[in-house]
Amino acid sequence: MKNRVQTIFLVMCILVMAAGVVYADLKKGYYSPAELGSVRQAAPIKLLPDSNYQAPAYPVAAVDLAPGDGRQDVQIYCNTCHSPGYITMQPPLSSATWEAEVNKMNKTFGAGIPEENTQKIILYLQARYTAETRKQ
Amino acid sequence: MNATERCLSRRGLLKILGVASSGIAVRRWLGPDVTMAQAPAPGNAIESFTGPGANLHWNSVGPYVTEPQKVPLLLLTDRPVQLETPRHYFRTAFTPNEAFYVRWHLEGIPNSVDLRNWKLQIEGNVNKPLALNLPELMHKFKPVSLAAVNQCSGNSRSRLQPRVPGAQWGNGAMGNAMWTGVRLRELLDMAGVKSGSLLVQFQGLETGQGPEGLGSNLFLKSLGLGNPVLDECIVAYLMNGEPLPMLNGFPVRLVVPGYFATYWTKCLTWIRVLNAPDENFWMKTGYRVPDTPLGNTTPEDVKAGKVKTVPIERLPVRSFFISPDGSSKIPAGMNVMLRGIAFTGFGRVIRVEVSDDGGKSWMAAKLGEDHGAYSFRTWEASWTAMSPGRYSLAVRATDEKSNTQPDEPIWNPGGYLWNRIERQEIVVGNAS
Repeated sequence: MKNRVQTIFLVMCILVMAAGVVYADLKKGYYSPAELGSVRQAAPIKLLPDSNYQAPAYPVAAVDLAPGDGRQDVQIYCNTCHSPGYITMQPPLSSATWEAEVNKMNKTFGAGIPEENTQKIILYLQARYTAETRKQ
Repeated sequence: MNATERCLSRRGLLKILGVASSGIAVRRWLGPDVTMAQAPAPGNAIESFTGPGANLHWNSVGPYVTEPQKVPLLLLTDRPVQLETPRHYFRTAFTPNEAFYVRWHLEGIPNSVDLRNWKLQIEGNVNKPLALNLPELMHKFKPVSLAAVNQCSGNSRSRLQPRVPGAQWGNGAMGNAMWTGVRLRELLDMAGVKSGSLLVQFQGLETGQGPEGLGSNLFLKSLGLGNPVLDECIVAYLMNGEPLPMLNGFPVRLVVPGYFATYWTKCLTWIRVLNAPDENFWMKTGYRVPDTPLGNTTPEDVKAGKVKTVPIERLPVRSFFISPDGSSKIPAGMNVMLRGIAFTGFGRVIRVEVSDDGGKSWMAAKLGEDHGAYSFRTWEASWTAMSPGRYSLAVRATDEKSNTQPDEPIWNPGGYLWNRIERQEIVVGNAS
């Protein structure tokens, strides 16, 4: 019995070592399909030797606003002065902070969002972008 | 031999060796979704937002984007444009123009400037209003050059706890350039500031969609006429010896050495002498910090209305680790060079120290070339970890006014003035 256990142990050791040799050889050439961003290179722009100095249009980024009631109001009203990326960039903020932010847009910055839409926007942000509600 | 053949031959070998039980080897062939226990981790993308905890990454977490006249930078927002400079561009004392961070307030950013029509106006409470075109600025005045750090007031805002709304910058909302242009003082003297004047106000070409008279329509900043910084200001038409990128303020930008970037008006076009206080949003309400040591306060004190604020001004002393950046292990016993930058808005950086025990003991780093009091100063320190483990490196700078960096967090509602001691975790592995 004891001999048999020893033999099995020895065979196992050899197998593990053999696997180790193979494994050592395998430690190269791994590739992953993980989705890392790729950025296209900008094409050179045509410059003329005149007095006008131009930059091509600033590219707009796709912003993935969370689905939900009020999303369209955000897209219409907030988007007048800034892209919705201003929302998705924020860390999760409290309901009170979101309310204060939207009110600041109206009162301090004169956004002029109708009262009904203002309330919808506040509720949307509170329902999607607080620590408790933010998913994406 | 192509990859498939290689796989097959290895599979054959495994079969021969009879190591079917060896999951390590076999699982590799099962497909990309199966990870071996010891396989290299897949290169996953970073999270798309951080919070409610602090952002623990050196930079902000946005994707790379390519904007006009720029290399790929980290996106905060696309309209108006806000881009952060990735960490590795700070290996040198001067930040390349094409990698220099971008921060606009209003969405009406110029796409073109016609120099046939463009003129810098010096107006308001002056004896002789001036309108100078670029050739006049370049040739009528003696050009002066100065290295100066431009840092956004909200740089590192994503470190604050609790988090505050605003652009969620990591550490890359800063850059250093050699600025060349005309002394602001010469322009003011030529126009003749009338007695009784209080401020100089600066306005660029940037405009917003908001109603006239509000902060959403114009971005206006001003400095007191008695402020000695006016004597150091430059109206710069060169940045590192090149024209400014449009996104950094072509054709001229105000340089306010030692001051936060909020005063460095881009596409500067109006210099206006005022004889009354500047009541506009960007001075009266925005960019204000608590009138306390380090600009520190608490959410409770803000709520209780106890916090008196003043306009933000000079850059508190800061220092950064740039390399190594913690993305690779260092073998024990290997002597490596720690490198970084330091700066201050209060005179020169006179000392940079590093710690490898989390801030208990400090050793002096060697300072790099001195490009002037307002420039980035590079530093380096040779370091050897003799035993494997996780090391928490820390760096702190001291300026000639004896200001040094706190090891406590900063908090104020605007998310300004962060200058806490930076840390870098380094993993040291066995060397044999």
